[in-house]
Amino acid sequence: MTSSPRRITALAMGVVAALALAACTGGSGNKPSSTQSGGVVQITLSHGYTDVEAKAVTAQVATWNASHPKIQVKLVFNGGNDGALQKTLAGLAAGSSPDIAYEYGSSMAALAGRSQVVDLSNRVKDSSFNWTDFYSFERDAATSSGKVYGVPALVDNLALVYNKKLFDKAGLAYPTESWTWDDFRTAAKKLTDASRKQYGWAYVADGSEDTTWRWLAMLWQAGGDLVSPDGTKAAFDSPAGLKATQLLHDMAVTDKSVYLDQGNGNYLNLFNSGKIGMLWTGPWDLSSINSDVSYGVQILPAAEGTHSSIAGPDNWMVFNNGAAREQAAWTFLTWLTSAQTHGEFTLATGDLPTRASETKLDSYTGYLAKYPGDAVFVLNLGNVTKARPNTKSYPQVSQAIGSQMQGVLIGQTAPQPALTAAAQQADTALASGQ
Amino acid sequence: MWWSDTLAGWAFISPTVLLIGLFGLVPVVWAFVLSFEQNDLISPGKWVGLDNYRKLLHDPAFSNSVRNTVVYTLVFVPVCVIGSLLVAALLNRRVRGITFYRVAVFIPVVTSTVATATMFNWLLDPDFGVVNAALNKVGIASQGFFRDPKEALLAIVLMTVWGWLGFGVIIYLAALQSVPADLLEAAAIDGCTRWRAFWRVEVPLLAPATLFLVIWLTINSLQLFDEIFVTTKGGPVGSTTVVVYYLYVQAFQFFNGGYASAIAYALFMAILVITAIQLKVGRRLSHGER
Repeated sequence: MTSSPRRITALAMGVVAALALAACTGGSGNKPSSTQSGGVVQITLSHGYTDVEAKAVTAQVATWNASHPKIQVKLVFNGGNDGALQKTLAGLAAGSSPDIAYEYGSSMAALAGRSQVVDLSNRVKDSSFNWTDFYSFERDAATSSGKVYGVPALVDNLALVYNKKLFDKAGLAYPTESWTWDDFRTAAKKLTDASRKQYGWAYVADGSEDTTWRWLAMLWQAGGDLVSPDGTKAAFDSPAGLKATQLLHDMAVTDKSVYLDQGNGNYLNLFNSGKIGMLWTGPWDLSSINSDVSYGVQILPAAEGTHSSIAGPDNWMVFNNGAAREQAAWTFLTWLTSAQTHGEFTLATGDLPTRASETKLDSYTGYLAKYPGDAVFVLNLGNVTKARPNTKSYPQVSQAIGSQMQGVLIGQTAPQPALTAAAQQADTALASGQ
Repeated sequence: MWWSDTLAGWAFISPTVLLIGLFGLVPVVWAFVLSFEQNDLISPGKWVGLDNYRKLLHDPAFSNSVRNTVVYTLVFVPVCVIGSLLVAALLNRRVRGITFYRVAVFIPVVTSTVATATMFNWLLDPDFGVVNAALNKVGIASQGFFRDPKEALLAIVLMTVWGWLGFGVIIYLAALQSVPADLLEAAAIDGCTRWRAFWRVEVPLLAPATLFLVIWLTINSLQLFDEIFVTTKGGPVGSTTVVVYYLYVQAFQFFNGGYASAIAYALFMAILVITAIQLKVGRRLSHGER
């Protein structure tokens, strides 16, 4: 704690220094493809995989390199995907980018349209690439202002994960795929036991995107939309928005059936110790559930008949380092994201398929047997009908909603005033034209 | 050969000068230029003159962050200074195992912020925390702490005082041990009680240490960031959004690099002025008392 408040200043200064240096050396723009020698093209791929995923991608790249002497791929670990955007941006400013990089879906807006980021629109049109095989929300998330800048690298979504033992104890039937919000609310209430500090549901209430995206799923279930079709105005201050916000209020404030996680991931520990009955979470949490906890996975409950879920697809993005390397990068990426190659990757890692045709591969049965919890998540991909908008003002819109929903969850703000305030802030952000 | 000495001198300090210049001065100047631009930190910026500074005056979220920072500083600094003084006085004596107590008091200072925050997150958890369990035992209702907009900033104060107390204690202990024993002896001979001697002899002699601590802690609390980042992320509902956290959000979440630089410079000026005033007033007070 000694030097603590200084650290961020130092960090910020460091980033600025890097940018300043880059400007001084005048290194922006494209570098010639200097790594060509004897017809061999060297490309780099930057990623943030660890553990099983790192092992799997390393093995796949080794296979590729062994069978493709003309295109050699070098893997570079980016230090963790949380910092990938910042690292990429610094690289762009310094004029040195990898040829392919793993980027969060939320980074799309910050990267799309920059001169070094390759517009893939024409390349994905090639019929052999079979672009429409990717789920439509994945394609939306890889697109910004009508142009394609990414190829889906990873996909996940939110589903209902529940503790079977707590349901049995409360004498409740397990959630079904025809559950409504009322069923969900009633169950959460019955699973709540104040004397045992046991809660029906957990909600991440730190006001970040974690708070916002779960609410977005509810907004879509109620038939609402985040922004107007032209993307210039907030559209969530609507009957659907109110319905979603009201549900949060009713469960967290009236029923007190919701554990409010402050963003530190306590909810998973509490789920493991049988203090929380249901979670809305993704496949990434399944590996952290203790083996002695018997859990089930079900699609999210519906309002207005739709069980909408939300996904945060991540992308591979290509950076311009000269025509030869760009072509090589695309050839490799086509192979890496093909149904066959990615199918092998999911079998090794438990990641979800990114292409619909992966579920028709012979290996898919083996995949389901190996990762039984994933079956519902794969099915649930069909419930992801909308994508978050890829606009530069999205982080501000997200923050406005997250902060107001936090107010609703802790009983500080009533649903309608919270919506009005969030919509006003979102309108300002959207109007600033970013 | 005077110049060869000079040359050697410069040669010795040049690595440091270069490094500090590169990572200290260049960014400082660069940020100053940025503060007059609309800049997303990547694309070439657009010169907007004083617009960023003008925007500061009309940004309710910024004034909210200033208010939170001021409240935090006004509570944190006095609590930390007085707390350190009392603990240092307790530790400034010969008792069995005094080294153990001194180490215990200092350990939080060298504990990483993230570890401290994780611990406090659990201690202060409204539902499962030890603190609320203890409060309930003595008949006090559960508190919201980080979850309650009215309490979150005070919970941050509690956490940071825990982390900083040892630092103040070390400074005061050093100062206390340099208080001449004959002064205290003279006071005792004149019939002064130990308690009066503490207030009338020791505390005034500690004035330089107090001045240093007040300035140091004020500068640090005006730059509060890590503890917020790892606990409340500025919430709930903006109640712990302090200036540097707001700067971070603007720079690295919204990519408004120019506006964030303007915030940084406003904060820099504020710290400069406050420190100058503290030095001036502090020096006058400590001279007046001697």
